[in-house]
Amino acid sequence: MTVFFYTPAEVLASPDEFENKTIRIGALVQKDSVEWDAQAIELSFKITEDSKIFIPVFYAGVKPDLFREGQGVVVEGKMKGELFVAGQLLVKHSEEYTVETDNKKSKEDYYRSIQAQ
Amino acid sequence: MKRIILYLEWGSILGLLACGLWIFLKLPLETSQGFPQKIMYLHVPTFFSTYLAFFVVFTFSIAYLWKRELVFDQIAKASAEVGLVFCALLLVTGAIWGRTTWGTYWVWDARLTTTLLLFLIFLGYFLLRMSVNDRDKEARLASVLGIIGCLDIPIIHKSVQWWRTLHQPSTLFKVESGAAKPSMPPELLYPLIASVVVMLIFYLYLLLLRLQTEKRRETLNELLAEIQN
Repeated sequence: MTVFFYTPAEVLASPDEFENKTIRIGALVQKDSVEWDAQAIELSFKITEDSKIFIPVFYAGVKPDLFREGQGVVVEGKMKGELFVAGQLLVKHSEEYTVETDNKKSKEDYYRSIQAQ
Repeated sequence: MKRIILYLEWGSILGLLACGLWIFLKLPLETSQGFPQKIMYLHVPTFFSTYLAFFVVFTFSIAYLWKRELVFDQIAKASAEVGLVFCALLLVTGAIWGRTTWGTYWVWDARLTTTLLLFLIFLGYFLLRMSVNDRDKEARLASVLGIIGCLDIPIIHKSVQWWRTLHQPSTLFKVESGAAKPSMPPELLYPLIASVVVMLIFYLYLLLLRLQTEKRRETLNELLAEIQN
């Protein structure tokens, strides 16, 4: 079966099959697992579906704007032993849309944050 | 028909203007995406128009095969042309939105691939029409391809449920415990519904305008043929 991405559980269930093969894994970014090194431009985090089975991910590249803890991501790369080395990091966005109650303030914050970039 | 086209024209101009002002001046920012979320007000209405355009192609292609009235084929042809433009817009707005949120213009996931397939099928549809000289034969062949091509629409629509995709599931058609429950707050939802309505008016305008041109062209061709005889 070909799928657009595998889940962490599927990959860990048959490690031999996925070793050194370019695959995509889709999962959520685990809380408190993100390490972002802005100097070296290296991002490490763990992905999970159920907060029980994890795969540590290493990505040498810029952190996407919408990347945050708890967010869905799709990573493309290879398993190197226990570690998943990603060549591409895509952020999956949710179909849920929300607005902040204190909207005027958040709008100002937002425009300030893009000017700062 | 001239008068209806004029109404639809002004309806689209004023509607697009009003929606634009509403979206950019009045609307709150979406929490996680911020400003880029606003492209939704172009992307979502475009897919409604694409769906409607090809639904019209489907219906009138069947009608032509059944009744063999040339006008049905003219409607299907006009709608397919407008639909193709909307489908291109859908792919382009989706790519721009994808770049800012996902981090890529394009991935070969089921939603994006089946949408591109629709675009390519209807490019082929016009190549087919151009390659046949006999008007009745053209109508017959195009109707069959039109019907088959439109079967891609339900596949596009269900793709986010049938396969694992990068594209998120539907926001507007979300159903929770048997009731429709769009997952967005009213201040973002109402302008979206308004934009969809305006885009459908714009589709009708383009369709009727194109149909008018098509009918005039056929009349002209008939007259030219008479002169030559």
